[in-house]
Amino acid sequence: MWQKSHLKHSDTSPSEIAAERRALKKAPSLRFRFILAGVLVIGVIASLAINLVFDSSRKLADLSYDRLLRSALLQMDENVGLIRNEISIDIPWSAFATLAQADEDRVFYKVESLEQGFITGYQDLNSTPPKSPVLDEMQFYNQEYSGEMVRFAWLERRLTEPDTAQTVRIVLGQTRLSREAMASAVTQRAIEVVVLVALVAIALIVIGSHMVLRPLHRLERALEERPHGDLTPIDINTPKETHHLKVAINHFMARLQVNLEQLENYTADAAHQLRTPLASLRALAENARDNISNDTVSKDAVSPEKQNLALENIVIQCDALSQTVTLLLNQAVVSHRLQTQRLAPTNLLEPINASCREQAVTALHQGIKLSLDCELKEARVLGDAFAIQQMMQNLIENAVRYSGLGVEHATEVVVKVMAFDAFYRIQVIDYGDGIPDAEKQRVFERFYRGRYDIAGSGVGLAMVKDIVDHHRASIVILDTQPKGTTFQVDIAKIAFSRKPV
Amino acid sequence: MRLLLILVLGVWTMGLLQTAMASTPVWFGSQNAPRTLHINSAIDLNSFEPMLKAFVAQYPEIRVAYQDINTLELYYQTINEKQKPMASLVISSAMDLQLKLVNDGYAQTYQSAFTERLPDHFKWRNQVFAFSLEPIVMLANKQAFPGPLPEDRQALLQTIRQHEAQVTGRIGTYDIRKSGVGYLLASQDARQADATWGRLLEAFGSHDIQTYCCTHEIIDDVASGKLVLGYNLLGSYALQRVRDDARLKMILPKDYTLMLMRVALIPKRAPNLEDAGTFLDFLLSGKGQRMMQTQGLLFPLYPAENVVDERYLVNAPGPTGVIELDQQLLVGRDYAKQRRFIKNWEIALELNSDD
Repeated sequence: MWQKSHLKHSDTSPSEIAAERRALKKAPSLRFRFILAGVLVIGVIASLAINLVFDSSRKLADLSYDRLLRSALLQMDENVGLIRNEISIDIPWSAFATLAQADEDRVFYKVESLEQGFITGYQDLNSTPPKSPVLDEMQFYNQEYSGEMVRFAWLERRLTEPDTAQTVRIVLGQTRLSREAMASAVTQRAIEVVVLVALVAIALIVIGSHMVLRPLHRLERALEERPHGDLTPIDINTPKETHHLKVAINHFMARLQVNLEQLENYTADAAHQLRTPLASLRALAENARDNISNDTVSKDAVSPEKQNLALENIVIQCDALSQTVTLLLNQAVVSHRLQTQRLAPTNLLEPINASCREQAVTALHQGIKLSLDCELKEARVLGDAFAIQQMMQNLIENAVRYSGLGVEHATEVVVKVMAFDAFYRIQVIDYGDGIPDAEKQRVFERFYRGRYDIAGSGVGLAMVKDIVDHHRASIVILDTQPKGTTFQVDIAKIAFSRKPV
Repeated sequence: MRLLLILVLGVWTMGLLQTAMASTPVWFGSQNAPRTLHINSAIDLNSFEPMLKAFVAQYPEIRVAYQDINTLELYYQTINEKQKPMASLVISSAMDLQLKLVNDGYAQTYQSAFTERLPDHFKWRNQVFAFSLEPIVMLANKQAFPGPLPEDRQALLQTIRQHEAQVTGRIGTYDIRKSGVGYLLASQDARQADATWGRLLEAFGSHDIQTYCCTHEIIDDVASGKLVLGYNLLGSYALQRVRDDARLKMILPKDYTLMLMRVALIPKRAPNLEDAGTFLDFLLSGKGQRMMQTQGLLFPLYPAENVVDERYLVNAPGPTGVIELDQQLLVGRDYAKQRRFIKNWEIALELNSDD
């Protein structure tokens, strides 16, 4: 049986299973891609967030500790005064109590006046701020001092006391330990949250991917668990997203079912068709043998005429059989071509001419004149030349076969090709007995034979119908005047609006 | 063992002889000990010797060289030796100078199980550690002091006013120019109660106060009756003498009693860090702390209660002002402020700045 299932591992060979496994291993995983993409996106977002937090937590820490620094600096500034026309500062204890809130941070400061020079503090401290100094405007900046990064606040102002025009400059700095500690505490907390959220999101993606793909697995299981040859529609509940897949699979299986049925019927009927001529062949052969043996027994001379007749009958039967087999083979080829070949621009006249040429001699043997009536130079359609030739051959054969019947022996079969606006019309006209209206619809049925007294397989017209359908053409059976049958095929021209590449 | 003991005793007695010469250290422990720990300290050897002996007994592999230096000299020496310090441990009661050394980057970090157990207000940056907390007291000669013994500074001022003749030239305190701890105490007085400090200074100035470099000289003079009262003395030294001398009376001022820490630090680039740490841990250990209390050497940070000698529990009659070990101490040592403060002090006491 050729409907052997690849899904059933029980009856597949180990090498096939191994190959399948290898293929599975190589195959890209939808779920893996989905998870990978999700993790990447989440990773990028999380790292952006963490970066942002790093930055802002440092700013936050600076903001809050700069307030302490500002307050301490202002307290110092308030205690700048003149003693005997000399600037002096009495640093209040509270200023440094403020700074002591950053409990582990070293404190550096310098007070100087532009006119008087160094007043107090750390003499080697660089008191030039990075930005250009502006009077009364406090500046904050980081600068290394005493082997550590120090945050400095800087202020310069003019003394407002009378009788003096001096400028005092105060630089106050504290190391960054508390700031860094605060920033890293904030950052750590935020990172914990970000990482947690990211992990939850990744877990959701993993679970989600499983959930999303579950209907597919269900479909797969449903298909796999089917017995051989079961092509009935799948009947499981699936979500909307996989519903179409299910429907498509069901459609596909229905088509497969139809095809299989056709094939089975065809095989059975073909066997049947071949059996009848074979049986009659056998009967003829027996007859011939019996004639010979009878003659031998009766010691009469063997009648050469009788012997010739018997053998002639066998040859005729063999030809008929051969014709049937050829027809069956052609039909198989045509149906295979129709399934596999795409239609291509073809000159319709070529296959028609070819089949006319081929059939002309055969027809003449039977005393029938086959003529082609065509004034066209070219007739381009979308089609398969081989199939069209087979179609024409069948139609002409059919016409020739039915012409030699009846009382009045018709002697002509005409093939006509005409062009219309949108299509070409092919007519195969015979002047035989014609087909009764009741039968006109049935002649295209497979193995239907109008007349059993005429040789034929009963598959020729069915094949014609298949080819016509495949070319999206139409076929009708008309009566020829005064009598006879006309098969008329209309096939569309190539639509030039859609220019073929 | 006995030989070793004799040796130790021998070294120790030699060490005692050498105390007179300030520049040479006193040695503790076996001469054969593989390692030597140099300690520069402002603690009187009398108060510290038993601790040092207990230490070398516990760690026989360490030999200790102990050098007693005045708080201010200790500060300058540590700065001068910053490239190649002699001492691995610097111990001083001048908290402000010690803290300034740390702030200015002369100390290095040390962490151990013992320093970790220390509350935050007894250490700073893990570079300076307190191991003793003692009250600042007045010491009076009961016989020589005119009138009732003063309970607080106001009472002292009153006595000075009422008994001018008896007290003139007979009150002693630190020379804040020579003693680091003396300056610290004076500046803290000024901070705690500025008005009272001003009046005291004025009274001291007008009654010819005697200034000293060191606590024990003041105590000696109070004991001998040369002075009637010593002002702002370290409680541990005073208490040691009071125990043995009935003439003396230690007074914790009722208006406020300053509480001073003795603090230790390890200088940067100091040799033998490990043993410095070991000694610091020893001071902070239960054994070391208990020893200070039971042998009456120093006031421990956390005195054990229910001991026979309750005098090492500070029972101040009034509020206590613990001098905080943090950045505020830098204010007192501000160049301008210090200069002004000493100037005012000199003017008040009618001293020449050349002294």
